[in-house]
Amino acid sequence: MSNATLNRLTPYVFLAPAVVIMGLALLYPLGYMVFGSFRAWDPSQTLGESTFVGLKNYVTLWNDPNFRESAAVTLKFAFTVVVVEMFIGVGLALLLDRKLRGMSVLRTLFILPMMIAPVVVGLVWRYMYHPTLGVFNKGLKTVGLDSVDWLGQHALLSVIIADIWQWTPFIFILALAALQSLPRSALEAARIDGATGWQQIIHIKLPLMMPVLIVTGLLRLIDAFKVLEVILVMTEGGPGLSTEILALRISRTATEFRELGVAAAMSNYLLILLLMLTIVMLVYNRWVEYRATRAMRIAEENL
Amino acid sequence: MIRLSTTLRCITAASVMVLGQAIAGPYDDHAGTTLVVNFPAHPHYDAVRKILPEFTKETGIEVEVDQLPYLKMRERQTLELGQDEGDYDLIAYVVFSKADYVYADQLENLARYFMNPKLADPSYDADDLIDGYVYNIGFAGGNKGYLQGKTGSLFGIPYGSETSVLGYRKDIFEKHGLSVPETYDEMLDIACKIPELEPGMGGLSSRAASGHHASHAFLLHLAPLGGRVFDDSWNPIVNNEAGVQAANALKTIVGCGPEGAASFGFGEALGSFLAGDTAMFLDTTVVAGQIDDPSKSKVVGKVGWAMHPMGTRRGSQTGGFGIGIPKNAENKEAAFLLMQWLTSKKGDKLVAMAGGNPSRFSTHEDADVNAKFPHMKTFGEALKHADPDWRPIIPVWGKINADLGTTLSKVLTEDLDIQTALDGVAERATAIMEEAGYYTWR
Amino acid sequence: MVTEKSQHPGFYAIIVMLIIMSVGPIAIMLINSFKLDVDIISGSTGLLFMPTIQNYETALCDILPYELDHLDYCALKFGGAFINSLIIALVSTVLTLIIGCMAAYALVRFKFFGRDTASATTLMVRMVPPAVLLVPVFGLWNNEFCIDKASWLGSLIRETFGGRGDVCLAGTHSGIIIIYVAMNLPFVIWILQSFIVQVPRQLEEAARMDGASPFQVFFKVVLPLIKPGLAAAAIFTFRIAWNEYLLASALSDRDTKTVPILIVNNMSEFNVEWGVIMATGMLLAIPPIIFTLFASRQIITGMTAGAVKG
Repeated sequence: MSNATLNRLTPYVFLAPAVVIMGLALLYPLGYMVFGSFRAWDPSQTLGESTFVGLKNYVTLWNDPNFRESAAVTLKFAFTVVVVEMFIGVGLALLLDRKLRGMSVLRTLFILPMMIAPVVVGLVWRYMYHPTLGVFNKGLKTVGLDSVDWLGQHALLSVIIADIWQWTPFIFILALAALQSLPRSALEAARIDGATGWQQIIHIKLPLMMPVLIVTGLLRLIDAFKVLEVILVMTEGGPGLSTEILALRISRTATEFRELGVAAAMSNYLLILLLMLTIVMLVYNRWVEYRATRAMRIAEENL
Repeated sequence: MIRLSTTLRCITAASVMVLGQAIAGPYDDHAGTTLVVNFPAHPHYDAVRKILPEFTKETGIEVEVDQLPYLKMRERQTLELGQDEGDYDLIAYVVFSKADYVYADQLENLARYFMNPKLADPSYDADDLIDGYVYNIGFAGGNKGYLQGKTGSLFGIPYGSETSVLGYRKDIFEKHGLSVPETYDEMLDIACKIPELEPGMGGLSSRAASGHHASHAFLLHLAPLGGRVFDDSWNPIVNNEAGVQAANALKTIVGCGPEGAASFGFGEALGSFLAGDTAMFLDTTVVAGQIDDPSKSKVVGKVGWAMHPMGTRRGSQTGGFGIGIPKNAENKEAAFLLMQWLTSKKGDKLVAMAGGNPSRFSTHEDADVNAKFPHMKTFGEALKHADPDWRPIIPVWGKINADLGTTLSKVLTEDLDIQTALDGVAERATAIMEEAGYYTWR
Repeated sequence: MVTEKSQHPGFYAIIVMLIIMSVGPIAIMLINSFKLDVDIISGSTGLLFMPTIQNYETALCDILPYELDHLDYCALKFGGAFINSLIIALVSTVLTLIIGCMAAYALVRFKFFGRDTASATTLMVRMVPPAVLLVPVFGLWNNEFCIDKASWLGSLIRETFGGRGDVCLAGTHSGIIIIYVAMNLPFVIWILQSFIVQVPRQLEEAARMDGASPFQVFFKVVLPLIKPGLAAAAIFTFRIAWNEYLLASALSDRDTKTVPILIVNNMSEFNVEWGVIMATGMLLAIPPIIFTLFASRQIITGMTAGAVKG
């Protein structure tokens, strides 16, 4: 083989392994799933042995109140979590954006929760929410208040709190990075114009951070739809369906109810939902980016 | 290290063989085999693991245990049994898996093993096995497909089977002059009195968490109160008067139960009784061992046992596990030998002494066992009223059970109206049954 | 920015509170892992208890060189699972890095399609929740991605490694590794792209002038320059492979169980042994905690590179 052909082939050689693996272990399975979602498929059968049932799985799900409730729980969970985390995370970033000794230690401690296995997070929180042994109820008792039925009546709230604990640092760190990479000139200009702290935040910092914040929020939202282990360990989806997010319901449908076809259809619904969200957010991001560049230009012109 | 112990084992196996040749022991052909067995994470099977070394010592057959939580175990078995050649030689299965496995032709019919003179031990005494358990767990093809009947045959042997009994705190009952409840009315009455008499203590701890926990707790009350899930022609009747009464009983119990009762799984319910947070516990016999274990329990010696209270009839649950041999197993004969050894009079007594649930009448009456576990007498009594039909064991039951469990959990936590809830369950169950072909002969 | 001298005392109060909140739960786990169940249940809140390593002994009973008095038999086999977890996490990290690096380099330097397309695709793939992969991967790995045991390769594998039935991806380390590599590749490619872009072209061209082949250029010039990116990508891949539960639990068999599966299994309904569970949780958490303490800068670089630069 001549050197020239080798050079021409190089990019393909470099890309090939990634393409092969992703094709084999991501794309093919997704196609397989779409195919399977039109079939009545039992775990003891291979896909070939199952029978074609058309859109039946999709229709059954659409009319299934349990599936709808589970979808509602998922949306409620994901959006609450992202909104609260954005508020706290960005708030903390604005608050702690100063020269502090030990800031790097602080950041290290903050990222601990999200590095730890979700399974472990789930079990620690399950322990802390324990009706009698947990720290929360013990704390309430020492103060003289009634204990709270965390994982019973307030299961969704409890699960949301645990997720906020684990993932607010993610937003905090990204927001802090965004803050620290803001153009100094714009901030200086605003200070010279006599803008107060709040005015700076609302008119300069937040608009300029917006593109990064949107990507951050989007990443978080996507991840919020993936949460499964924490909830599985804490509540197993209960009580009732109050914390049974779609990811959990898919896994239960596949393993406990043994209906792979329905689980595949449910997976497709979840994918479509996520796809729509991603596209909406991306389009919105483009628009905000455009506005931000304009804002920056105006700020610089004012200088 | 491993190699060394294998060598040692081979030597022991060889010596067993040498000794055996004189009397031609039944285990000779299989000494040195390693059986892979699949057991649930369950107190009875914890006890079984304690006695397995005894089996290996006696027979030279090694046993490797894969122990999983029981939903996981079922999932694993679904996969393993579906293959041409499976990993497991012997499996423990939960009662309602019987329907799936036998229907899919995945379990060995035990007839050919009990007919084989080289395998079947003449002193096995099958009549000593508790009838209700055998029909409930081992039999398939009889009446309704899952009960005792002329068309049925044996696919498994009950092992780690349970019935329900009422555990109560003797000290608390004595202190307030309460008498042990005989009927449902009395029990519910006392359950709600306890929190008043003993502030901070719950009445009766019960499973209630979403899913199979809630459904189990409900069915526990359904049979004694005169209800059934289906009538004789497979129409769901959970929503009749008895059903509503049972759900009401569950709701009352959870309402007067300990803190957080609505989210209790079995572990939490038992935990709260062990920690002394509740005065009564109505559930399986399997817990007796733990209640007397001072490292786990704060109520050692304070617990008395009584029969499952009566509603319109006596009807304690039948449940737990059985053991069977998969069709795709590698060492079926050795697996049968293990199965026979475990459920023999000797094995049953050993496991009972180790804290397991015996499945023979004789073990319940055994003097040694009773000396160690005085409650065994009551348990033996309770067995006479064990109801093999307290829940249906049909392939679609898993789905109906899951729906029943989540719906009941809503009743307990979200104040869903009971009649509406059960009507919903019945309606969805009808659809499931229709689809599965139960109404074909109408 | 406010300078250091004049901080409001309330500010420090907030910081202390934040530290307690983020580290507290982990501390609770650590403390309880040294308590006996009796001490945990008896509910004495304080630090007054006899610390014991019995929980850790119970967890690690299968690899301890000595027999334990408090156990009748070794139920947990945590040691084996720990080794499985290590193999799976390390191999999938190394593979992901090598493959991801090459792909990122090709995408950046050879201009297949714009970086925008690449990052949009990455985002799309990242969107796929593991739960969605559960059903197809379970089916494929168990039924389709198999080698007939009668074929020469199949019989060779069966003879060497033992086991029964057709040789399938499910139940093997490789089966789990492949899915982890595929799941992590998009993210790794995305991060590494933003680092490779910053490598000056002139360096590469100079090397090529000296007669280096494209492979040599890549390994000798580019790789050393993107080390921080590699570190970040490695930590993130390792973290996912180490912590993942759902797919591993669907694909592993009794010999290839990973630690998260063991922990979930051990939360069985019959007796929740808090002490032992906390100990296993702690053991699972230790590697990520070590990474965080020693490489927090790389982690933060990785996180911000993904969102801010991408």
